[in-house]
Amino acid sequence: MAKHSFSLSPLSSFLLPRGDTLFYLIALFSILSLLLHHLSPVSAEHRHFEGFDADDIDDFVDPDEPISAAQNLPPPLPTTTLSVSDPVESHHGPPPPPSDSATQVTSQPSDPKPASMSFEEWDEDEFEGIPQSPPSDSALITESATETYTSSESDPGLKPELELESERPRSISDYTVEIVCVSFLIMFVINYFTGKKENENVALAWASKFATIDSIFDKNFSLLGVGETDDSPLLLKEGQNVFKFYASGRRFCQGLLATMELKSRHDLISRLYNMVVPCKDEITFEVYMNDDAMDHVVVAVAKKKLAKTMQKEITDLQRFASVVSPPSGRKWIADELAVVAESKEVAGDMISETVLDQLLNCHSGVLYASGDLYLAAMEVSNSDCWWSNATPVLKVFGDKAYEKFGKGFISMHLSDQHQGSHKKMLVFKFAIPDAKNMADMTRLVALVPYYIDLIGRYKLSSHARTKTEGARMKVAQEIYKELQNARQEALQRKKAEQRKKIEETEAKLSAEALRKKEAKERARQMKKAMPKMKMTRAG
Amino acid sequence: MSSPANDPRQPSTAKPYKPSPVAPQDLPIDYSGFIAVIFGVFGAMFRYKICSWLAIIFSAQSLANMRNMETDLKQISMAMMFGIMGLMTNYLGVGPRGSKKT
Repeated sequence: MAKHSFSLSPLSSFLLPRGDTLFYLIALFSILSLLLHHLSPVSAEHRHFEGFDADDIDDFVDPDEPISAAQNLPPPLPTTTLSVSDPVESHHGPPPPPSDSATQVTSQPSDPKPASMSFEEWDEDEFEGIPQSPPSDSALITESATETYTSSESDPGLKPELELESERPRSISDYTVEIVCVSFLIMFVINYFTGKKENENVALAWASKFATIDSIFDKNFSLLGVGETDDSPLLLKEGQNVFKFYASGRRFCQGLLATMELKSRHDLISRLYNMVVPCKDEITFEVYMNDDAMDHVVVAVAKKKLAKTMQKEITDLQRFASVVSPPSGRKWIADELAVVAESKEVAGDMISETVLDQLLNCHSGVLYASGDLYLAAMEVSNSDCWWSNATPVLKVFGDKAYEKFGKGFISMHLSDQHQGSHKKMLVFKFAIPDAKNMADMTRLVALVPYYIDLIGRYKLSSHARTKTEGARMKVAQEIYKELQNARQEALQRKKAEQRKKIEETEAKLSAEALRKKEAKERARQMKKAMPKMKMTRAG
Repeated sequence: MSSPANDPRQPSTAKPYKPSPVAPQDLPIDYSGFIAVIFGVFGAMFRYKICSWLAIIFSAQSLANMRNMETDLKQISMAMMFGIMGLMTNYLGVGPRGSKKT
């Protein structure tokens, strides 16, 4: 059956060192135990078959109620009815003596041997729980077995009763588990297709809003989509809820990879889970900057709580940056947000007026103080930034810009010290609105090319530069030291292992030599002792 | 965007997309597949039909969330087999006896 094909595959996978060998081990183990489980009742049955099949019949009749089954059984012999009439008694203890005498009566009275044999073989424990099995049957093993079986089947009065008993539990309430599980599975399948469609719709809505002709990405990148040609698909689907969008061919950066992680709408279980723990559709932009286009910048902006965890968990922030307190006397980001940056200068330059106007705007009531002071930062973007003459919508923001448009903002992380393959990277994380309200995140998406240009042109002041360089040197040295330490440790470990090996082999080889040596030593000792003896003797 | 000088696009520097290779151990752990296997084993061993059903459901979830065809399919199919086997022994009474005992 299925077992055979099953037990073969784990065997073959044992030869291959795989990660899921564990599962196969579990599988093999459980199959073995299953087999044992299957075999044990069979062997047990054989034992029962020797004389007392009333037990088997019993099972067929009703496994739940042996007592009632005992009552239902036909009276085998008039002499044994005594034991049947008392079902409680018949379960435990030795058979009543009258049945013994009955054996002798029913079986051949001229030959007492079989009767005595049956008496000797009688074991109380073996037949415990058997409702009715008079030893008298043992004399006529096969005959009585077939008789009782056929009689129980042919008995017209019994049959309907049995059927009634077997049909009684087949009400709907007994199939609750099956009904629930099957309906859940059906719902799961339906939800899989509808959810898949929903996710695709969201992703396509995003792509059609931001990546089609004359859209924001089309104006900024020469290559859109994951393929090599122009008409290649824009989105790459990874799993049912992950979509990727790639763009390349822009100044200052090598490429941009946007990863949309949508809700698991296709998965009913996660959907139910998300009802309890809500989550959002997220999009992560990763901009791979050119190596020469990014100065020493480590800045992250996120909601206060998230900023703190980012500062603790992300290594480059941990190493270089700290939470920057809002500077006095200038417009700063909304209260809910926090900036983690290497220095105040960098933070101030990165959180420029434009950005503040654009989206991370202050709450109402904040005075527009001393805009001139931070004009330097503005200059960067003003000269030939692509939206300096873009639609006015981008720049016209009310005071409550963040409240309005920042709700989709999750985090932003600009760093030249990223962990991983590419060091200089800008990472933006936004929440995706509904498929219908995709325009809500236009301003957020506009942040991406803006920051590419801002970072690409940004140059630290010489004063800040020396500082950051010092910090980077320090960290680099630390890393180098760590690496060297690790290497040395590894070397030492290797050496120790080698030494151990050599010692072991020596010990093995010299076991014989040692014995010889010991023998020699003993002999020498003896020799040493001998002259002493002589000396004493002499003396 | 109005003047070509302001065009930030540089077609010469465009690089086609290269999917970064992901090591199998970096993939998100397939919890549902694991749960399915456990339920399947329990269901088949102790003949709890609820366990077998849950195994089927979780393997369906695992199937729905599958990303890597080769590695995941093995595990999922195994969980499925366990679940189906448990159900077969439960309902068809493949075992010699005790098939009605649940």
